[in-house]
Amino acid sequence: MPKKYAKPPIVEAVCEFRLTPETRWDLTVPGLLYERLKKAFPQKEQRMIQQMELTQGPEGLHQQTRMIELIMFWTEDKKILVQVGPRLLTINVLKPYPHWDGFKPRIEMAWESLQAAIEVQGLERISLHYINHIELPAQGVELAEYFEFYPSIGQRLPQQMVAFLTAVEFSYADGRDHCRVGFTRIPASGGRSLFRLDIDYFLARPGAVKPVEALAWVEEAHSRVEEVFEGCITDKLREMFEEVL
Amino acid sequence: MLTTVFLSGPHLKTFVTGSPWTRAEDKPEFPDILILSRDLVQNFWPSLVDVAFPAPQRGSKSVVIDIEELMEWLARRVRIENPNLIREYLSQFTGLLDVIPKAVNAAKKHFPEAQLVIDVYRDPEIADCYLVLYIRLKHYDDSVIERLEKAEAEFLSHLVSKRGWIQLTTDFREPEGEDAL
Repeated sequence: MPKKYAKPPIVEAVCEFRLTPETRWDLTVPGLLYERLKKAFPQKEQRMIQQMELTQGPEGLHQQTRMIELIMFWTEDKKILVQVGPRLLTINVLKPYPHWDGFKPRIEMAWESLQAAIEVQGLERISLHYINHIELPAQGVELAEYFEFYPSIGQRLPQQMVAFLTAVEFSYADGRDHCRVGFTRIPASGGRSLFRLDIDYFLARPGAVKPVEALAWVEEAHSRVEEVFEGCITDKLREMFEEVL
Repeated sequence: MLTTVFLSGPHLKTFVTGSPWTRAEDKPEFPDILILSRDLVQNFWPSLVDVAFPAPQRGSKSVVIDIEELMEWLARRVRIENPNLIREYLSQFTGLLDVIPKAVNAAKKHFPEAQLVIDVYRDPEIADCYLVLYIRLKHYDDSVIERLEKAEAEFLSHLVSKRGWIQLTTDFREPEGEDAL
């Protein structure tokens, strides 16, 4: 049974659908999508983001950076948004997290609206990414008291860390999906400690999930993300997050 | 085994001394943890990510990550007042994420000698707030207003059709803090 918290540490959750190049896409798509979403997401905005593409060629890894324009549709309270870019759709929810009951219907709405606007030929990537900020009321913190995922430091090494980054990638569904988990410390003010725990569950095999299966994949991804999150924290944090029974 | 993390302490000095920031105005507001995390993320992390987690495409679609990246970028150039209020403001007006670096660069170009300070200004009379980028100088002369106008002209057009605002101005105060000139 998944746990639900009154004070979840989630600062953002992002569900991303990236379509395969066979899907026809043109400049009218964001407008078509906005027509379908504007009741729930009335506020329009746009921004440029830098996207890095890595391709493996005979001469090694080739890196290319390009700018893409994202059109953003926000809810009136600016807590939930849909982003549309070339063959890209994301649904983001910001703090306070509306729980899965509130996030999932927005994902369904955006995905179904996209499918109604264009013919999606395939999915290159789907991901469900949760970003947690966990604030502890002290500067010196015993990580093991709060976390079950943190860097292991051998006894012959200095025991006082001033910064760290820890990341692993797990395999699920016979390698079809991967879950990347990252844990680091980020700047905080006022004598507190702030940690970022990233859980990014994504389709690692492009095309392995058909468009018709996408929402079922997202539901499954959410279950895996919950398991990973619970696997990363101790009861002490669960108490802080105040489980709703 | 228990692993302990400490934020402050004399051992940090070695990192700070070895940091690439040689000019006072380049020092971040929170030199310790920001230099460390920035060094880790920018120098160490990307190469590890490429090796350990090769992916066909990267690029953040996360509002929170983009804000944090901008905050780190700002911390190397600007004194940050009320970082949490700035984060909150940016999450409401994400269109400004592209404009703020332009504003900071323009201010630095026209006021290379100034300390820059970013804050959220709240109008006490009406429910309005916006970002404000102050230039602070040791000596103010007649050219300040003209230079402010020139700097503002370099990024003002990027604010058109954006929600939210960033105002470049001065409060005629002297530079403050460890990074004061």
